[in-house]
Amino acid sequence: MSILATKDTHVVIQGGVAGVNAARRMAEFRYMNKQPLNVSAFVYPPDAGKTNEIVCGTELVAIPIYKTVADATANHPEINTSLVYIGANRAYEGTMDALNDPKIQTVSMITEGVPEKDAKLLGKHARKLGKTFNGPSSIGVVSAGECRLGVIGGAFDNLVACKLYRPGSFGVITKSGGLSNEIIWICSQFADGITTAIGIGGDAFPGTDYVSYLEMFENDPQTHAVVVVGEMGGDLEESAAEWYGAKKRRIKLLAVVSGFCQESLPKGMKFGHAGAKEGLKGEGSARAKSEALKKAGAIVPETFGALGPAIKATHEELLKSGTVKAIPDLAPADVPRLPKTVAEAKKDGEVLVAPLIRSTISDDRGEEPLYQGYPASELINAGYDIPHVIGLLWDNRLVSKQEAEIIKRILMLSADHGPCVSGAMATVLAACAGIGLSQSVAAGMIMIGPRFGGAVTDAGQWFKYAIDNKLTVDDFLVYMKANVGPVPGIGHRVKSLKNPDKRVKELVGHVKSLGIKTPHLDFALAVEQVTAAKKDNLILNVDGTMAAVLVDIGFPVDSLNGFFILARTIGMIGHWTDQKRQGSRLIRLFDYLVNYASPKRRAVPPLK
Amino acid sequence: MAKVLEGPGMGLLRKWGISTPNYVVVTSNEEFEQLSKVNDWLQKNKLVVKAHEALGSRFKLGLVKVGLDLAAAKSAVKEMLGKQLESVTIREVIVSEAIDHKEEYYASVKSTREGVDVMVTTYGGVEVEDNWEKVQKLAIEIGESPTDAQLAKLSKEAGFSGDTATKMAEFLKKLYTCFDNEDAQYVEINPVVQNSGGELVALDAVTLLDGDAKFRHKDWTFPFAAEFGRAYTTNEEEVMAVDAKVKGSVKLIEIPGGNIAMLPAGGGASVYYSDAVVARGGKLANYAEYSGDPPDWAVEVLTEKVCSLPDIKHIIVGGAIANFTDVKKTFGGIINAFRKAKGEGKLKGVKIWVRRGGPNELQGLAAMRALQDEGFDIHVFDRTTPLTDIVDMAMAAK
Repeated sequence: MSILATKDTHVVIQGGVAGVNAARRMAEFRYMNKQPLNVSAFVYPPDAGKTNEIVCGTELVAIPIYKTVADATANHPEINTSLVYIGANRAYEGTMDALNDPKIQTVSMITEGVPEKDAKLLGKHARKLGKTFNGPSSIGVVSAGECRLGVIGGAFDNLVACKLYRPGSFGVITKSGGLSNEIIWICSQFADGITTAIGIGGDAFPGTDYVSYLEMFENDPQTHAVVVVGEMGGDLEESAAEWYGAKKRRIKLLAVVSGFCQESLPKGMKFGHAGAKEGLKGEGSARAKSEALKKAGAIVPETFGALGPAIKATHEELLKSGTVKAIPDLAPADVPRLPKTVAEAKKDGEVLVAPLIRSTISDDRGEEPLYQGYPASELINAGYDIPHVIGLLWDNRLVSKQEAEIIKRILMLSADHGPCVSGAMATVLAACAGIGLSQSVAAGMIMIGPRFGGAVTDAGQWFKYAIDNKLTVDDFLVYMKANVGPVPGIGHRVKSLKNPDKRVKELVGHVKSLGIKTPHLDFALAVEQVTAAKKDNLILNVDGTMAAVLVDIGFPVDSLNGFFILARTIGMIGHWTDQKRQGSRLIRLFDYLVNYASPKRRAVPPLK
Repeated sequence: MAKVLEGPGMGLLRKWGISTPNYVVVTSNEEFEQLSKVNDWLQKNKLVVKAHEALGSRFKLGLVKVGLDLAAAKSAVKEMLGKQLESVTIREVIVSEAIDHKEEYYASVKSTREGVDVMVTTYGGVEVEDNWEKVQKLAIEIGESPTDAQLAKLSKEAGFSGDTATKMAEFLKKLYTCFDNEDAQYVEINPVVQNSGGELVALDAVTLLDGDAKFRHKDWTFPFAAEFGRAYTTNEEEVMAVDAKVKGSVKLIEIPGGNIAMLPAGGGASVYYSDAVVARGGKLANYAEYSGDPPDWAVEVLTEKVCSLPDIKHIIVGGAIANFTDVKKTFGGIINAFRKAKGEGKLKGVKIWVRRGGPNELQGLAAMRALQDEGFDIHVFDRTTPLTDIVDMAMAAK
């Protein structure tokens, strides 16, 4: 048994992110108790119609969000409690809605900074309706083994440490959220734990007083003692004392009151909760409250520190009189645990996961990316350059200075070829249509293929085939004619022997000047000798030259098109930003650039 | 609770139809000079000059001057403006019209748990303290308003008669309306006097508003004043500015002359820590508190201020077992500020005492404990040490 929040409590949470977080904490509590989630619905107009996903143990449960409290209770008739997480400037209206809903009996409000007048009106309205309005500024309510309203009790480990998975004998009422948790902990260590702990909020005029809850605890057979943590200010402690002293009570009352420091502070200096202030004529001091409680027969330790031993003594008395029985501790294996995430279980060495992908090039799990194990910043500081990164990521090796220079020249020579080629044209067309950078560049990329820029890999493949198989130029040309077709990397639309491609000349000249072995380039140039003799424009083109050189310096055939794609990306980004900068408008083909070869206008036959 | 100075307080009363003396709030002699040229009443009437700052016992400090003509008022303004009193500089002065009167009455409205109390007596001015039992009280439930008949009866019971009783009932009605509409928590007018025309005038007012209701009062453009009889210090104002900006809260009040610095978490626990210090005969150097999972940088700012308090011997980093304040994160902010303070040569000979529980407590406490290796005199305890035992240990330490 318990009060206010029980196993029969079903909750609607009013509010956004903070409310969802509370629901997650409540789900953890229920999981600990092996009970299903008791949050039925959310009310949050901006997200009405959607759901919030709440982790319940090993599952995700979708909890619907409604526009109004009435919608929530109509769809979930089990709802009897509302938890308010609405901002202070709108909390009044939302809470009124909840109080006025006939299905809802208890409303607990966590919102802080609610105007005093609003809180008083809500409290009065609740009393008129015979309902409970707990808060504002309440950390929530928790009943061990049954239900948690809000985040009271904190993290899962703390719930378990405080034995909140099963009821004890002590009730707790506090204004302070942090101290509610502290007392729950003390009750679990010095005694047998709690039945229900309630945070009533630290405002000047909380919606519910100690007496209403003491009355409920008195009628709860499981609760045998109640701990009240009071503060200077107001008269709730005095009323509690009056209630306790009025007649013989079944429950024992333990209380502490804070604010004795006030007596030795400069006059008028006050601190703590909003409600922690003495009356204007000195009433409500910590001393007056403590005296009243003592006089009424409550156990009032001199300090907060003495509360633990007092709770212990009370529990021992209850044991001695046979009122309660000692509750054995759970066997370690039976102590509730949250399911581990895969990451946690892996860390603890408890699961083996079959990887989905395998990567041999880079790792970004640390504080900076590692390329083949080399930290990027250290490569920079050691003077390495973009070509080395390409070597590491495309061929898993650090290329030499010489090789890096060749790669750099290839990239520079291929970066752009003006706006008229297929790739740049597609990018320009897209840019003029108002398409974004990545999509416009992608449009240009799509053009790269067998007829435009995509012959590097093919050329490399066949030159390599020739060298690997020790073919002569003649044998190679015969083989290609019979099995493949035109030789990739040979032939140009406009360039010829008489009008050579300067880029090719430049690249070949540089590579040749290095005095390195270049069997593939040599072979390609030999092929050109034969083909160009047959037809003037069957020269070694830039694709073929790049391919031969890159194979010579050891790059795998499959990576070769990448050099053109990478280089040309620079140009395409340039074309996009160029059009963007100029504010270019939509373009289309002129009719005179189209040969309209379709049938002339004619009559549409009837649909058959 | 938010205290409002006399000027804006009077402004609110006038807004709701209550007569007050003419007044001006001035910040410079030139401004007062200009005002005196255009306001007849400043030239014709006897004047009262008061320092317009959150200061207690202004009379004793010579910051209230009465019965002045304009020339005397000008020199009083000149004398008061810029005057330095401990940490406070007088930046504003209020000059108001003196009202000749015979009797002084008392009227107030106060927020209670059930609603409001309207209180009134003919024994106003300094007499009210000794005649508190003569004050007549009318309790109004929240959501209700006092009726004319109730207020008429109250005035009569308080000893008013005839025309004055009728006027006082009207006055109380306006006062209640002002209180209710302005989200006030306490308004006390002492004295209420009758001017030569027989009209009731509020001569002085104490106004406490509900700061939480500011969002629905666009005309509350005035700053709130400290309630403890002195102005806020720069450190306090800086922490308040941070507090207004962040989720959760950080709070600081400086107490001159103390040597035990407080840096506990939680509005409830912080007071128990203060109680423990006082109970052991210690002298608090400050009150501080952080709660509601504030960002680490906000706690860092608060910690910097606490480390800067003069002549401190101990810092109490206490706290209960948090529900949702992340101990690792908030301690991160505290640790940053500790390191900074140490680097600046502060914290010499200061012992730091830590006790805390809550989310990520193990990591948070371990990080604090690791400060020992950096040469801090720090003593760290977990949830198994009762809440305020660190105060006992600090006070026992030599």
